[in-house]
Amino acid sequence: MKTISITIKDLQILFKDRGTLFQLFILPLLFILVFSGALNAIGQAEVVVLPSLAVVDLDGSEAAGSLVSKIEADGSLSVQTYPASDAQAQLDENKVVGILTIPSGFTAGIQQSTPVSLLLTNGTSADPQIVEALRLLLESITADMTLESQIIASLKQMGDMQANAPEGQQVFTTERILAQARGQFETAQIRPLINVLQSVPQQGSDQEATPDLSLSAVPGFTVLFVFLAAQTTARSIYEEKKIGSFRRLVAAPLSKTELLVGKILPNFITGLVQIAVIFAFGSLGLRLLGLTPLPIEKAPLGIILVAVLLALCSSAFGIAIAAIARTENQISGISTLLMWGMGLLGGSLIPLFILERFLGPIPMIVPHYWANRALDNLLIRGLSLADISLDLVVLLGFSLLFFVIGLWRFDFER
Amino acid sequence: MPAILEVENLVKKYGDFEAVKGISFSVEEGEVFGLLGPNGAGKTQTISMLTGVVPSTTGTARIGGHDIHKEMDQVKKINGLVPQDLALYPTLSARANLSFFGRIYGLRGRELKERVEDVLRVVALTERADQVVDKFSGGMKRRVNIAAGLVHQPRLLFLDEPTVGVDPQSRNHIFESVQRLNRERGMSVVYTSHYMEEVELLCNRAAIIDEGRIIAMDTIKNLIAMLGGGVVYVGVNQVDENILSELSALPAVKEATLVPQPPAPPAPEGKESTTESKPVTASPVVKIVAKQNQQAVVNVLGYLNQHDIVITSLEIMQPNLESVFLHLTGKKLRE
Repeated sequence: MKTISITIKDLQILFKDRGTLFQLFILPLLFILVFSGALNAIGQAEVVVLPSLAVVDLDGSEAAGSLVSKIEADGSLSVQTYPASDAQAQLDENKVVGILTIPSGFTAGIQQSTPVSLLLTNGTSADPQIVEALRLLLESITADMTLESQIIASLKQMGDMQANAPEGQQVFTTERILAQARGQFETAQIRPLINVLQSVPQQGSDQEATPDLSLSAVPGFTVLFVFLAAQTTARSIYEEKKIGSFRRLVAAPLSKTELLVGKILPNFITGLVQIAVIFAFGSLGLRLLGLTPLPIEKAPLGIILVAVLLALCSSAFGIAIAAIARTENQISGISTLLMWGMGLLGGSLIPLFILERFLGPIPMIVPHYWANRALDNLLIRGLSLADISLDLVVLLGFSLLFFVIGLWRFDFER
Repeated sequence: MPAILEVENLVKKYGDFEAVKGISFSVEEGEVFGLLGPNGAGKTQTISMLTGVVPSTTGTARIGGHDIHKEMDQVKKINGLVPQDLALYPTLSARANLSFFGRIYGLRGRELKERVEDVLRVVALTERADQVVDKFSGGMKRRVNIAAGLVHQPRLLFLDEPTVGVDPQSRNHIFESVQRLNRERGMSVVYTSHYMEEVELLCNRAAIIDEGRIIAMDTIKNLIAMLGGGVVYVGVNQVDENILSELSALPAVKEATLVPQPPAPPAPEGKESTTESKPVTASPVVKIVAKQNQQAVVNVLGYLNQHDIVITSLEIMQPNLESVFLHLTGKKLRE
């Protein structure tokens, strides 16, 4: 109960401090609004650019050229032919949505009615809707080509048979020709001459799905501002020491654990409220403003778990700062340099998939990275709770580390 | 009367620095005990050890029969602490502050409400109870600070310099509150101050503390009596052992000694100085401890005139705790 009394008192003080409230609850919403709006605009601008498809033509003859022409004629893709190695480079750099490989012997296979397979390789960062549209387009074109090829072959066969028949003898009746055409059509449907095999690189490879930039702003700023709230704990403890009330609390019949937990709980609760407010804005506010809303309905349990660990880690970090910083300036310095620096490094300001391209594994050293990764995986990539278990464990580990540092260095006498 | 507080050879060290150097004293139940000394003498450190804010390096103490090392939980329930700082939350009201500190001591519900109202009456702030502390005057804040240490009805109250930065009216309020708590509720008080007149007014007994040591401890009356009739500092153009022994032998003079330089006259806050002074010079100064101040001055001045010794300065100090401290340490209380 004494712990709760300290918590309630600190929350009363906090909610009288308009500056801190603005920083905790309003500032993150403003950041999200500006960044989501800007990034959404960038996303919309990209829609008018046709997605590109790289073609590796290993066949190089008539049917292959015809296939490429038909894809281009559809008008929904920009098609460019590359050597195999260049095409892969284009895919790695996300310049094309996929590679269509036309195997050697493609034309011969069609001419001889031997089944052939096209290989469509798409990148993990490609928009799934574009990839699906591409697959359907290819299947449609190859089905037409199959039918065309088989009907032509059939007519040719019938023409040959008619030519070899005794003069004046009618080999094919109208009914028989129609039955033959119908049969060819069904065969083309059941056993297509041209197959499209789709190849998707394994999840967990170096390639990561490119998240919607506007969506990544909400989790990013949530993590940043929840960690920034850690300075509230540090400042609260510093203020208590400065005005002497901490001495009064230490002199009261109250254990050190009760005292510290009482000082941590307000930040923990504030952190949870912060996350709730920011996510509610990310979901409802952005929708009302016509921006891409945060799909929080995708993984409610996962979000709650990340929120609890994020608030816990921030609170523990606050105690660690209070234990290390000796002056108000040091608290401000640590807050400004360390927390914004960690936020930047951990993917709160620049999306992780971009950061990782040039920083490699370095962002992993900050807790922000793991919190951002967990939220990105849940909300943007649509992964399951099991997929973020490592992120949750690492966040818990950081929380424990900060607690240990805080308890080890905390000076109750000063 | 049984002792509520017994302190035995308490020591506090910070590395090589010894802040408290083996302090021993006791406070009886219902007594107001003063710890008088200048800033940095070790008063606050002593209180911090007795209230569990900092652990002692060696030595021990018993409060209400409980050892401060083994039974601090019990000790903390007996103690009330009014720190030197205004240890209050400025954005909360006086009532919210007092309720919070009451809850920290386990008070709840009706009992908490009654205790808060009671201490607000004690410090005469009932009508301002719902105003935020930040809007209060310095004196009113001090009174809330005291109330916060009283809300759980401690048996032993530690008041650490409770009147620092307080206007005379609020100071009188604080004195009256302390006297009433002691008189009507039998509350024992340890009162630290570097204002000798406060200790003289409020305390039955006092310990004079300097550089971490108790240098004198007795009733206020006996401490002042150490100086007999007072002290006179006389600056002269010449002095030797013979002159000093002849001065010591004069009627109404207890002792005459040579001091290197007379101290500046004390000017206690809120009280008219009874000191007469002359400009300080670099000439030798003789310290006369008098049995009777006025007679001693007459005799000393007569002797000096008779022997053609030029008087360069003259300072007469009435017997009080300030002059006792000066006599014992050669320093002023507020140096």
